[in-house]
Amino acid sequence: MFSLRLPIPLVKTPPSSSSYSPYYLCPFHDPCQTRGLIVSKRGSATAKCHADVTLRHDRVSFAGESPDPFPAELAAEMMPKHVAVIMDGNGRWAKVKGLPPSAGHQAGVQSLRRMVRLCSSWGIKVLTVFAFSTDNWVRPKLEFDFLMRLFETTINSEVQAFKREGIQISVIGDSSKLPESLKRMIVSVEEDTKHNSRLQLIVALSYSGKYDVVQACKSVAKKVKDDHLHLDDINENIIEQELETNCTEFPYPDLLIRTSGELRVSNFLLWQLAYTELYFNQKLWPDFGKDEFVDALSSFQQRKRRYGGRHA
Amino acid sequence: MILCFWFSFRLVQVGNLGLQLPWYFLQIIVSAWYFISVVGNLFESYFISLKKYKSLHSGKVRYLAIVIESEEAYQISKVVKLSQWLDSIGVKNVCLYDMNGVLKKSKETMFQKLKNAKSIEEVSEVVTLHAPDHMTLEFLSYLDGKEAVAKAANLIFVENSKRHNLGGELDLQILLEPQMNKALQIVGSKGPEPDLLLVYGPVRSHLGFPAWRLRYTEIIHMGSLNFMRYGSLMKVINNFTKVHQNYGT
Repeated sequence: MFSLRLPIPLVKTPPSSSSYSPYYLCPFHDPCQTRGLIVSKRGSATAKCHADVTLRHDRVSFAGESPDPFPAELAAEMMPKHVAVIMDGNGRWAKVKGLPPSAGHQAGVQSLRRMVRLCSSWGIKVLTVFAFSTDNWVRPKLEFDFLMRLFETTINSEVQAFKREGIQISVIGDSSKLPESLKRMIVSVEEDTKHNSRLQLIVALSYSGKYDVVQACKSVAKKVKDDHLHLDDINENIIEQELETNCTEFPYPDLLIRTSGELRVSNFLLWQLAYTELYFNQKLWPDFGKDEFVDALSSFQQRKRRYGGRHA
Repeated sequence: MILCFWFSFRLVQVGNLGLQLPWYFLQIIVSAWYFISVVGNLFESYFISLKKYKSLHSGKVRYLAIVIESEEAYQISKVVKLSQWLDSIGVKNVCLYDMNGVLKKSKETMFQKLKNAKSIEEVSEVVTLHAPDHMTLEFLSYLDGKEAVAKAANLIFVENSKRHNLGGELDLQILLEPQMNKALQIVGSKGPEPDLLLVYGPVRSHLGFPAWRLRYTEIIHMGSLNFMRYGSLMKVINNFTKVHQNYGT
């Protein structure tokens, strides 16, 4: 599961021949004792202490980048409106390369940025990404605290770029366990980008498919309690209206991509995936680039899409 | 002049030949590779059940679900054959799903042909606890998916409002995953979460299989039911036995 366990490169990083900045915050240490990892060319990592560390946030550098030309092998009229992605394999990617997990998550962020840019350029209207599952709560508290701080700094650094590029941010999931500062930031970023219409990026944070169904049923129960709804009126359509993905005009993904060769949906958008084309790719998420995305879209367009005998 | 024209004509012919030869050569290579891979797959399918998978740990597949596109689900004899193959492999608990309920309507016919099979309704114990000597079949359609969740929610609300009428407070917190699981059992969605789901048909989606039961299910597209092979089934189950899941950790 891609859990945005992203390292934030530190200021004053020495020049490196590696494509990744060599200093990283280590996710498993006391926040007061911020440590960096120096990664040698061979991939061995040694911890190094830093005092008074200032964080530099990598920005989504959409500005100045020419939009990606539409691939000749794809048909514009058959593009999916909504693509969902389970970004899996950052840890394994780092392990294969002999790098710390933080490097894998850093590479994973680059991959996500690339994906956002491609979706934005090619007319896909909604991109939903699984950032942190409710099943990830079993991870150590130290790691969780680090992740939450990371979500904040990442969101904070991207807002301007998203506003500039017309990208709307929506965050779905159980916010009850999230830190107050992160909750405030989510409300703020959703408000700041709500009028953007080029692409809607839905980030599933502390989300699970079962949670979504249960919270939808609770919303229905509240309506029954408040006499806005009669018990006899409850059906699947009523529940559907209360799902968290109703924050978008296109709540049902046309295509689900899962990387790293895993063949399951891992409690993601369970209700919404009934007719979604499932595309499982062997590549690890950081290696999932433009060519792989084109393959996924091409595969989607070639398949005979039939809804239980009714042609789409 | 004529000589010059003839010479240029010959030059074009030689050029064309020079381009055509590599093209034909490439076509031959691609065709040969395709032929070899098809033959290889065919041989693998026929010999797969010999030495390689004799020690298949099919016990890891405690509950297997099969989604069949409704148009293909009318081929009952093929579905029966598929069930028999699973039984012979050692997969004893199987859920058969098609969207329009074609299989549900044909279950009596299927039970007549599958002497060793029982319906999940007849089985009182939790089906995945042990490998039974008989085969357990569950038949599902679209109605057992989203509609069943709506029914289960309704059931919880009704129970809750009864308590509310007796003076208790209407408790919204009562609606949690365990309550939903229990309510789904009552409304008829009795089976557990499948370990493995095989999709037969042209589409690569699960066509509305009960979403509540798909959390960690491995989903594999098997192609058309018309081209089903015993070897492919063995291969998929063998691959599944090697899968490791970390459940979010």
